Amino acid sequence: MDMSKYRGMFLSETKEHLATMSRLILALEKNPADAEGIDALFREAHSVKGMAASMGYQATAKLAHHLEDQLDGCRKSGSVSASLTDFLLGGLDLLEGLLEDLAADRPERDVAAFLSAATPAAPAAAAAAKKPVNPAAIRPVSRPTLPSPAPTAAAPSAPSAPTPEIALKVPEPAPPAAVVADSPEAGSGVVLRLTIELAVGVAAPAARALLILKALDRLGRRLDCEPTEAQIRQGESAHRLKLRLQTAQTPLEVERGVATMTDVARVEVIPEETREVTPIGRGESGRTVRVRTDLLDRFINLTGELITSRYMLQTAAQQASWSDLRSQLEQHNRVIADLHHHVLQVRMMPLESITGRLPRLVRDLARRTGKEVELQIVGEGVELDRAILEELADPLVHLVRNAVDHGIEKCGTVTVRAWREKDLAMVEVLDNGRGMDPETIRRKAVERGLVSEAQARGMRDRDVLMLVCKPGFSTAAAITETSGRGVGMDVVKSAVEHLGGVLEVDSGPGRGTRMLMKLPLSVAIIKILLIECAGRTLGMPVTRVLRTLEVDRNEVQSSGRQLVLRLDQEAVPLLSLSKILGLPGAPFSGSVPVVVSEVRGRRVGLAVDRLVGQREVFVKALNYPLDRHAGATGATVLGDGRVVFIIDPQHLLEERRGSRLRPAGEKA
Amino acid sequence: MKPRVLIVDDALFMRNMLRDIFTRGGFEVVGEAGDGEEAVTRFQELRPDLVTLDIVMPKVSGLQALVQIMAIDPEACIVMCSALGQEALILEAVEGGARDFIIKPFREPQVLAIAQRLCGVGA
Repeated sequence: MDMSKYRGMFLSETKEHLATMSRLILALEKNPADAEGIDALFREAHSVKGMAASMGYQATAKLAHHLEDQLDGCRKSGSVSASLTDFLLGGLDLLEGLLEDLAADRPERDVAAFLSAATPAAPAAAAAAKKPVNPAAIRPVSRPTLPSPAPTAAAPSAPSAPTPEIALKVPEPAPPAAVVADSPEAGSGVVLRLTIELAVGVAAPAARALLILKALDRLGRRLDCEPTEAQIRQGESAHRLKLRLQTAQTPLEVERGVATMTDVARVEVIPEETREVTPIGRGESGRTVRVRTDLLDRFINLTGELITSRYMLQTAAQQASWSDLRSQLEQHNRVIADLHHHVLQVRMMPLESITGRLPRLVRDLARRTGKEVELQIVGEGVELDRAILEELADPLVHLVRNAVDHGIEKCGTVTVRAWREKDLAMVEVLDNGRGMDPETIRRKAVERGLVSEAQARGMRDRDVLMLVCKPGFSTAAAITETSGRGVGMDVVKSAVEHLGGVLEVDSGPGRGTRMLMKLPLSVAIIKILLIECAGRTLGMPVTRVLRTLEVDRNEVQSSGRQLVLRLDQEAVPLLSLSKILGLPGAPFSGSVPVVVSEVRGRRVGLAVDRLVGQREVFVKALNYPLDRHAGATGATVLGDGRVVFIIDPQHLLEERRGSRLRPAGEKA
Repeated sequence: MKPRVLIVDDALFMRNMLRDIFTRGGFEVVGEAGDGEEAVTRFQELRPDLVTLDIVMPKVSGLQALVQIMAIDPEACIVMCSALGQEALILEAVEGGARDFIIKPFREPQVLAIAQRLCGVGA
């Protein structure tokens, strides 16, 4: 059976199961006699076993089975011993390794040694192997029950009431195989061309072929078949079946249904006439995402509305009716905003998807360092774009590792907390450990030649703390195996900034440490503020704009060589964006438009020529050589075709403070 | 609720083996029969969700038992058990309403996969 198309699904689902197992084992370590926990863990191992076995991943299946056996023993004895916890975690590590092998297309690593090793619960487990399985461990898997709209996505004529038309096309879940359903609806729908190949060496191919045809009859109406049933009965080779099926099911559902049948080696399902792209499993990258079907329905509806809206716009344009055009454009905007919102939702995943391995990490680190560390995770449900979560996983591990290794002294709590703030997702890692002393950091920074003594003295504590994010910085007195606080912080910082986010560090002696990541919710489509500067239009992500204002030249004061602005009793440095970019600029006069942004936790005013307004734009990444300049993070095309660079004040100013002082304007 | 299985085979060894496979796989083996006649009687009283039926058996054969059981309940879910080289008999059984077949020697995953699919449950 060709299972390769399910590989992606297998990998992502198994990953989730392993994360759940990790969580359950750690919970059982605290509460070893939790029967429900043991049952749940058993079910997880059982699921992994079943999936791996059906994929033909022998070692994985064997190992999962082995763990399942141990757990069955636990169900009998009613508890999980401490030694078994370690054993299970060891097994889990091995399973994770196997999954890595499979993801990398390598042969599975050897599990024989683990399987033959004495197990802490051996006697009970051996007896338990013959115990009945919890019925809860069984869940439907083989029948495609995912209802989704038929692929004939014709535009609904009335945008206000498109639901009934589409709802009609949602097929009933396939009837259980035990019931011979001969629904009259089964024949309606699209016509699919199927090619089914039986496995080489299949026993009784004729009987198998007839069974497959019978099963297909439950999915729809068979239009023809080659060879015919009669030919199969008379001994015609039935190793390869070609047929047409009229069905209300999607090609993917049919494909899945057939692929799970016994002895089917290969199945190909092609819709007749149309070239329908099936939503899952065709990814070259092997990435899959599960999408709620109601969301898919919503897409169809919105697409229908867009099409309708387009025709109404065309009509309004033909009739040269400006008022119709305007109102229709507004309607168009609403639909697009709605579509955007829903598309983003597909990409959104809870933070939970990357915090799964943290409990285990903290446990192991605490054990190794002999500390008592409690991990609290708050706000796991906060959702972020998949791409951001993927990039965030490693930095988060770094931060938590640092907190345990270097924040906590003997015992303490590490908290990972997430919440939403306007268009940003905030993720912070807190510890209630010894904290960092700005004085120590100043001294170390000078010792390491990162800053001069005078510079160090002149820096505010807040800026001093950011020095730990310089490559190679460490404040740990003794460099441990994972090295001191600071190693990896430069990686964390650049990862966060790469995502368009900001990292903030807050700490003090005895106050613990707080690492805050302010992240955008999405990457591709963002809101920008358009500004004009020396005759050029530039964009700045609104997440980087604290406020905009116009100040009178007379309100701008001088402090030494620095121009400053009074904002809420604070003197905020005022810089000319033209100057920073190396563009010609006239001295301030009259009313000066200012964008207030934040750089390293400090407010900075950027004087521009004009504030144009906000736009929602699709950001394109810059390629070489344009990506060489840290200040320009991307570009977008405006409605009139102009290309606008998107600049990041923080990058821009850090670049400027650094040794490389090349003006960005030359590149743009 | 666990799916209920009736195992029919004249060899005790095969019955035991199937019993273990089904038990491990989360099924409840509600009964066993050693020949076709007993199979029909047991089916009558137990009304199982699934019957595994050996083709070659003493007294009443598997094929005859299949016909009789299908007469009692046309919706009966019957899986034929057979050794290699009995293609014709299997084909006849499928025509007669058997839902699937398994070939000896039994491979646990395959047996369970078939049984689970027929009973609408998954591993």
